[in-house]
Amino acid sequence: MMPRRGRQFVLSIVLFAVLTVWSFPVFWGLVTSLKTDRDVLAYPPIGPFHPILSNYGEVLVGRASIVPNLTSSLIVSVVTTAITIVLAVPAAYALARLRLRGRAPIGFYILATQMLPPIGLVIPYFMIFSRVGLLNTYHGLILIDLTLSLPFAIWLLVSYFEDIPREMEEAALIDRAGRFRALWYVILPQVRGGIAVTVVFVFLNVWNEFLFAVVLGGRVVRPVTVAMFNFISLEQTQWGRVSAAAMIAMAPVLLLGLAAQKHIVKGLTLGAVKGVSRR
Amino acid sequence: MFSGKPARHRHTLSEQRFALGLAIPSLLVLAVTTTLPLCYLVWSSLQRINLGMSFMDGFVGAANYVNMTEDSRFWNSLVLTVEYTSATVALQIVIGLTLAVAISELRHGQWLARMVAILPIVLAPVVVGLFFRSLMLTPTFGIVDFLAISLGLGSHNWLGDPQLALMSVIAIHTWQWTPFSFLVLLAAMAALPADIYEAARLDRANAWMRFWHITLPMLRPAIMILVILRMTVALSAFAAIFAATGGGPGSATEILNLYAYRTSFNELNIGYGSALAVTLMAITLVISAAMFRLRSRR
Repeated sequence: MMPRRGRQFVLSIVLFAVLTVWSFPVFWGLVTSLKTDRDVLAYPPIGPFHPILSNYGEVLVGRASIVPNLTSSLIVSVVTTAITIVLAVPAAYALARLRLRGRAPIGFYILATQMLPPIGLVIPYFMIFSRVGLLNTYHGLILIDLTLSLPFAIWLLVSYFEDIPREMEEAALIDRAGRFRALWYVILPQVRGGIAVTVVFVFLNVWNEFLFAVVLGGRVVRPVTVAMFNFISLEQTQWGRVSAAAMIAMAPVLLLGLAAQKHIVKGLTLGAVKGVSRR
Repeated sequence: MFSGKPARHRHTLSEQRFALGLAIPSLLVLAVTTTLPLCYLVWSSLQRINLGMSFMDGFVGAANYVNMTEDSRFWNSLVLTVEYTSATVALQIVIGLTLAVAISELRHGQWLARMVAILPIVLAPVVVGLFFRSLMLTPTFGIVDFLAISLGLGSHNWLGDPQLALMSVIAIHTWQWTPFSFLVLLAAMAALPADIYEAARLDRANAWMRFWHITLPMLRPAIMILVILRMTVALSAFAAIFAATGGGPGSATEILNLYAYRTSFNELNIGYGSALAVTLMAITLVISAAMFRLRSRR
């Protein structure tokens, strides 16, 4: 067996490789966003260059500004997240904690809707929306984004509700507090963390969504994921601008992800792993 | 409490009603936003609907499905779907597990790996696809190609060469989602009871035996759920492939999902596109149901 020190050294090299491989594209996007079109096509690509900020100026206030797109994304993400939470929290509580007839089939139904391939939804939505005039509207995009966020949020929240000690709500109920009051004053404060994690995940998913946006959006409602293609044409790709736009568009989700790091890992694992070990 | 059966019964009934009242808004919204459109999808898969030639539209029964069996592009997309899904899922699990085992033994710096693993996961797949298409994989100027040249492997058209394109999009998907498996498995390993390992150590089990006979069996539930989740995601992978290759060159990276999209929205053949989407949906649901069964049996 390898001596302890040598082993730790080898593992450190593995760690370093992991760090490099997973962060490099983001880092390289950042570097490219500071390059002029000439520097982008310099060879070798890793040579020194004079960093500039004009790409950021161009994508923020230039002709193809992505600010309206950021606004679109923000509206869709915030409204979808709010509706999702309002609907999902009570449903998750009922599924996790209350005697609900048909809980198993209901749970399976929700899981099944989460696993549907989005292409199977976007085709009928396109046809229905084009008939009723919901293409290129916020209402339309928010409606279809709910199919993405609601089942996911319910399942994630169920795992948080299951963690609350049962004695708590029983105590509240024995005190003859109404069921609703018990839920509001006793249970909900216990799952605040879980709700925050769910908000982050739902926001991320909706912000990053592309297929629904590209098919059902348009000139008015054009989320930033679709607007990335503003800087790409058949003749040329403006790498510096695409990178700057990507950096701006991804800044919110990167910050959210890193800030909520611990909870995100917990949310990821609680939603995914704990569900198994419980059964 | 002032028990007695009738009271308990009433108690249960009111709980039932309360629970139903809480769940029904979500269930209604899901029924209207998912189940209803799916019925419409199945209906439209039995129609001829071509937005370019709408004068010929009409009910055609199973014709779209019959045409599918003779459509070589469909069979090609099915094969690509199987290759893409199995390769990406297997790679994510194997690499994620290897890294989790390695990093979990590390005494310092684990938090760094956990933090950097967040980056690919939170990036929009469309941005990942665009980055790889331009900054990473462009011949000569992309950093991967530059590396390949520097290492003496020569310059390649990673996304433009039909032979390489599928490998490239598989690599892109694997790059983005392996951190997910890594994080889940790392956390699952941290939750394993330490005393078993102590016992194994006393029995002089070596590292490999400990991994094979203790760690792996105990991680089985976590791995199972990862396989389910990652399979459904791979089956409906879209944005990264769309941005990187658009399904091309030709149809070299056109998995069933991309084929259904192109048929519906580029070729405007919505009827046939619907039939393709129904097929993908059926595949996904069968796989999920089988996995769900495996999962609840445990």
